[in-house]
Amino acid sequence: MRRSPGSPAHWPRHVIMIVVCFLMLVPFYWVIKTSLTGENIYAWPPRIIPVDPHLFNYVDVWYMIPFARYLLNSVIVTAMAIAGSLLFNVAAGYALTRHFPGRRWIVVLLLSCMLIPFQATIIPAYLVTSWLGVLDTWLGVALPLLSTIICIFIFKASFEAVPPSLIDAARVDGLGEWRIVTRILLPLSKSAIATNVILTFIWSWNSFLWPLIAIRSPDMQTLPLGLARFLSVMEDTTGALFAFVVLVLIPGLAIFLMAQKEFIRGLTSGATKG
Amino acid sequence: MAGLSLRSVKKSFGDVEVVHGVDLEIVDREFVVFVGPSGCGKSTLLRMIAGLEDITAGEIAIDGRVVNELDPKDRDIAMVFQDYALYPHMTVFENMAFSLRYRGIERGEIRRRVDEAARILDIEPYIARMPRQLSGGQRQRVAMGRAIVRDPKVFLFDEPLSNLDAKLRVQMRTEIKRLRERVATTTIYVTHDQVEAMTLADRIVILNHGRIEQIGTPEDVYDRPASTFVAGFIGAPPMNLLPATALPAERLSGARRPPQDLLVGVRPEHLVWAAGETPLIEGNASVVEPLGSDTLVSLDVAGQALVVRLPPRIVRRRGEAVRLTADPANLHFFDRTTGIRQTQ
Ligand SMILES: Nc1ncnc2c1ncn2[C@@H]1O[C@H](COP(=O)(O)OP(=O)(O)O)[C@@H](O)[C@H]1O
Ligand SMILES: [Mg+2]
Repeated sequence: MRRSPGSPAHWPRHVIMIVVCFLMLVPFYWVIKTSLTGENIYAWPPRIIPVDPHLFNYVDVWYMIPFARYLLNSVIVTAMAIAGSLLFNVAAGYALTRHFPGRRWIVVLLLSCMLIPFQATIIPAYLVTSWLGVLDTWLGVALPLLSTIICIFIFKASFEAVPPSLIDAARVDGLGEWRIVTRILLPLSKSAIATNVILTFIWSWNSFLWPLIAIRSPDMQTLPLGLARFLSVMEDTTGALFAFVVLVLIPGLAIFLMAQKEFIRGLTSGATKG
Repeated sequence: MAGLSLRSVKKSFGDVEVVHGVDLEIVDREFVVFVGPSGCGKSTLLRMIAGLEDITAGEIAIDGRVVNELDPKDRDIAMVFQDYALYPHMTVFENMAFSLRYRGIERGEIRRRVDEAARILDIEPYIARMPRQLSGGQRQRVAMGRAIVRDPKVFLFDEPLSNLDAKLRVQMRTEIKRLRERVATTTIYVTHDQVEAMTLADRIVILNHGRIEQIGTPEDVYDRPASTFVAGFIGAPPMNLLPATALPAERLSGARRPPQDLLVGVRPEHLVWAAGETPLIEGNASVVEPLGSDTLVSLDVAGQALVVRLPPRIVRRRGEAVRLTADPANLHFFDRTTGIRQTQ
């Protein structure tokens, strides 16, 4: 018989987990606490409980820089990156599950491209973006994330785990290629979708270097760029900085909490499916 | 409802040819079984008919219309797969209704057809369940239901029973047979199990290494196997094959050629106990397997194991002398090198 979670034999394990959770949450707590007090982070002894918490730092952030505009830019760019990457990664992942001449070489090419860091390709990326005429636009910022090799392979692996007879059955049932993908493969690849969404979100939301290069106009800036600019205009930055960080973090946390179950399954599915 | 023709159909995967020119005419409403050992090309042939594999050479026609270039969905066939291939994210109802939705059939009609198929197959209580909540046998029924609702020109079955346990397999076999009475659609059924082939087929097509060895009714292939391969494949235990030289020459009256060129085939059930007359074959029992209704006895003849099906209690233990004879009409002769039947 399995022991119930509340039984005495479980408490050492629970104590360990509680301690680990606590250690992981301390930095987050510190950020929130500081954002509410503006207390100098070098103050000694540090205070555990915030003294006189207030929201003035948040108000500062909102009014001293065009926060809403940056947020809008970030949201639009990230939404474009997520939508585009789903479309292109799914299509490419499905293509790689079919047989066609040269498929192996394309797989090898993609895998080797994964080894090249983005910083190394940033000049060609800039030139291509400029040639397409989308510098300083939302699309230009989203462009490098519209397809990511690792997510292509996540979709490929997920599609390959679907029994081939299911696809045969769908074909006999009268479905074309797009409907096979949308009606059969994608509903069975929820983890891969969640993984793609979360990874693209994180990459796009936190991206700093590329927007810095691709954007010139002040009102096209995304949140990470705004943060840098903000730091340069503030004098005592501590409280406002931490308030800014909290505001940037919230959307990411929300998305992750909504999708985490599928996300974790997506990252580990290779281990169980072999 | 329709006939089906295969004309010199070939299939290669890369440089390897796995189906070497198959010719076959199937008439309307016929139930044809493709049988043969694993890897002989049964599934490949079926998948070419379905449109799931390209046809390397030759022609396939359904209802008189060449379908080589048609997509599976335009061939008006329905297929049942070995692993059932039910869509795991849809209920039983949705699985069965799925293909109808893409054929522009209106809701009421879909409902009616699915209910009808569910009734025929006895799966009405599970109609709202997901496939993972069903047993193997129930999934198999749903897979058949999915084919039936389509009311296609041809049904294709690829080893539909081989994932079921032995008892369920026999039960489903009977059920398919019964289904035949109600849904008389042209059917091609692939199996490696010769019992399934014998019990279900109007005609059996025996395949070996991508070639047809014989086409015929179950009686044909049992009574007059065209080759030693068929002789060894149809019937359990299979036909005994001995060099003709191992038997007394005066008993080989049916043979038209010298004994050294021939193999003699005789089925275990056609060897009978020689009470008085001179035996055709003599030996000592090496294995005795009582089955209740009859007993299988093995003996060594000319260095080869020979199996006989005898009434119970004639031979009781190993080592006993066995004297056997056979009706000359039940002896089959095959060319010793090619294995081809010598007509008599
Ligand atoms: N996609 C494929 N690529 C290469 N060879 C294949 C493929 N499918 C089947 N074969 C080969 O074709 C032969 C016939 O296979 P198959 O039709 O599946 O046999 P069966 O269904 O009679 O067991 C086998 O030798 C198999 O290895
Ligand atoms: Mg097969």
